[in-house]
Amino acid sequence: MADFQTSSHRARWIFTPQELVEKYKEANQRAIEALDKFGATRVEVDIDGTLTYPEPLSGTGGDKHSRAKPLNVDEEKLLRVFYEYKIQDACQAFDFPHKIQATALMYFKRFYLQWSVMQHYPKNIMLTCIYAACKIEENHVSAEELGKGISQDHQMILNNEMIVYQSLDFDLIVYAPYRSVEGFVNDMEDFCQAENGLQMFQLALAALRRSNNAHGVLDFESYLSSVIARQNFLHTLSELLESLDAIDVWIEKHYIPTADELKRIDRKVKSCLDPSSHDKSKKREKKSKHKSKRGSEEAPSGG
Amino acid sequence: MGDGSGRGSGKSSKPEWLQQYDLLGKIGEGTYGLVFLARIKSNANRGKSIAIKKFKLSKDGDGVSPTAIREIMLLREISHENVVLLVNVHINLVDMSLYLAFDYAEHDLYEIIRHHRDKVNQPINQYTVKSLLWQLLNGLNYLHSNWIMHRDLKPSNILVMGDGDEQGVVKIADFGLARIYQAPLKPLSDNGVVVTIWYRSPELLLGTKHYTSAVDMWAVGCIFAELLTLKPLFQGAEVKATQNPFQLDQLDKIFKVLGHPTPEKWPTLVNLPHWQSDVQHIQGRKYESPGLYNVVHLSPKSPAYDLLSKMLEFDPRKRITAAQALEHEYFRVEPLPGINVFATGQPGAVNYPTRPVDTTADFEGTTLLQPSQLVNSGNAVANNMAGSHGMANRSASRPMHMVGMPRMPTQAMGPYNMASQAGMGGGTNPGGLPLQRGVAPQSHQQQQLRRKDPGPGPTGYNPPQQKRRYG
Repeated sequence: MADFQTSSHRARWIFTPQELVEKYKEANQRAIEALDKFGATRVEVDIDGTLTYPEPLSGTGGDKHSRAKPLNVDEEKLLRVFYEYKIQDACQAFDFPHKIQATALMYFKRFYLQWSVMQHYPKNIMLTCIYAACKIEENHVSAEELGKGISQDHQMILNNEMIVYQSLDFDLIVYAPYRSVEGFVNDMEDFCQAENGLQMFQLALAALRRSNNAHGVLDFESYLSSVIARQNFLHTLSELLESLDAIDVWIEKHYIPTADELKRIDRKVKSCLDPSSHDKSKKREKKSKHKSKRGSEEAPSGG
Repeated sequence: MGDGSGRGSGKSSKPEWLQQYDLLGKIGEGTYGLVFLARIKSNANRGKSIAIKKFKLSKDGDGVSPTAIREIMLLREISHENVVLLVNVHINLVDMSLYLAFDYAEHDLYEIIRHHRDKVNQPINQYTVKSLLWQLLNGLNYLHSNWIMHRDLKPSNILVMGDGDEQGVVKIADFGLARIYQAPLKPLSDNGVVVTIWYRSPELLLGTKHYTSAVDMWAVGCIFAELLTLKPLFQGAEVKATQNPFQLDQLDKIFKVLGHPTPEKWPTLVNLPHWQSDVQHIQGRKYESPGLYNVVHLSPKSPAYDLLSKMLEFDPRKRITAAQALEHEYFRVEPLPGINVFATGQPGAVNYPTRPVDTTADFEGTTLLQPSQLVNSGNAVANNMAGSHGMANRSASRPMHMVGMPRMPTQAMGPYNMASQAGMGGGTNPGGLPLQRGVAPQSHQQQQLRRKDPGPGPTGYNPPQQKRRYG
């Protein structure tokens, strides 16, 4: 949709940093409560798409000390960040257009505003988000093809499809700043003022400024002044710089987990999801090491 | 766990969401699935009619039906008085089927035309034709200015509201083939065949790789002519089992009425695949044009004819746009279009029949379980539509109105600022009526229906969806 101003994206999915913190906290809290009550957090998505929550602990459910320890909000975030990079890797491996990658990422991020990674294992959700993004962006790829391409079970992708749509409230049209980036890069003369939402606009400029800082192509501040002059901005240069700085701070804060951290968190989340199968899954993991690259090789490749 | 006998699920025979409705019966059927008529049970909107569209499962076992997903995702973003509004989405997780709930519209252009042809034996009132066309264009202009192409406009997809607050208001329905055409990742032709054959534009028939919103305007032209003459303008016989949109007989029918297109009048014609490849059949034939005005019984000097001929322009780049059409002289001369297409202001108004309801039909697939623990418990779409029915019903009587007198109080529209849309402002409003925003916000309604339109014999008239490919 062309009009960001009237979009569901703008109306319902733009949050302040504080709101995000709250949402992550709440999701984390729900999973912790489940762990307390049931001893496990996994929300099972069955073959037919139905959800099954863990059984309440029977009296003999084991003593407190053997209980799995929940992830905290920061650990959840690291796991999410890791899989956000994985989405980019997978999309690049498939040579998907930027738009699909961006849509898949957005779906993934929105999904985990509703759920904790302890409830739905992010690897599964990540694949479904990519699959759904292809479908929505009219670049249909069959689940089987997608699964094959990254040696994953395609049934898992399909099982999670409906819960993903539902968790996104069926708001499936999302915006990414790529078009804005292109617009600025080409320095399109009548860059569509009204059509591009401010958020997209700022993200595009922030990305370009960072890359300009690295490559030193032009004097960015005077470029901004000229944009402002040409576009009859409601913003002054200092206001614009302020919001770009805010985005920069956000990016600087972005932390990518190390391989070791990741392994530790992943172990933890698996024991939360389903403590009883912990040993089994350990064995399985060993086996599958031969087939697919796992363990330390799974460490993020990006920056 | 794996067998779907989910704990915590209600074990009733009906899914929970369905229990908020009284199911009356089946009212439609199409390639996408079935449509049922239901009434709301709850107090707030007791008795309100709802059309529930059930989507068939996707055939290839490849997840949720892309048709359903398209329709939902587009309808989630748009809001306009001449476009159907999605009231709710229900999910039957057991078989992954989706149910879309729309407010019910009693009439559609297919039935209105048929009624006049078969029962009334007289043309549709001029005011009604003009109002129908104006509102159709108004909705389409909104869609096009939001980069949405409908791609399946035909009389059965143009609904008209029956008795009630929105009596006589047009609603464009069925977005199963619609898509956003801004910056497509792939050529649009990759989406497969679009538009039902009689309403398919010549550039589509000739195999264009890229096409534009002009395909919708061609269809509007065909519908306009059908409203005037009560029969389809170009009734080509469809050759089935072809994977491309090319239909020789359909082109033949078009050329017989409009004459042969020429590269002089349509420069890009020479680049179209089927124009190049089928020289013998398409380029070879000679047509004597009987003149469109003869076929539609209009004076060649009338504004109606001028508008129609501009909609049926061969070259899609020269074809009139929805925004331009709304400004056309036709809408500025008497009778002026109005908000209630039935309010002709003349005695002897036609009473259109209500939709037949098949009460024997089974609401299949609903005897299964519905998980009750979902975050959104199947009402995902309802949350921001709360209160959408919250307004007390005004009188349901059918007062006659002066031509062009708005019935609806002027009220602010919902959450979207439509005034900013191109062509949405007062400029396109011929009579200065508060048409655009005059519709009560509680009732953007619709129901979806695609009957098996009778075709010309065995070659039929089935919508082309089953041929659609993705990717």
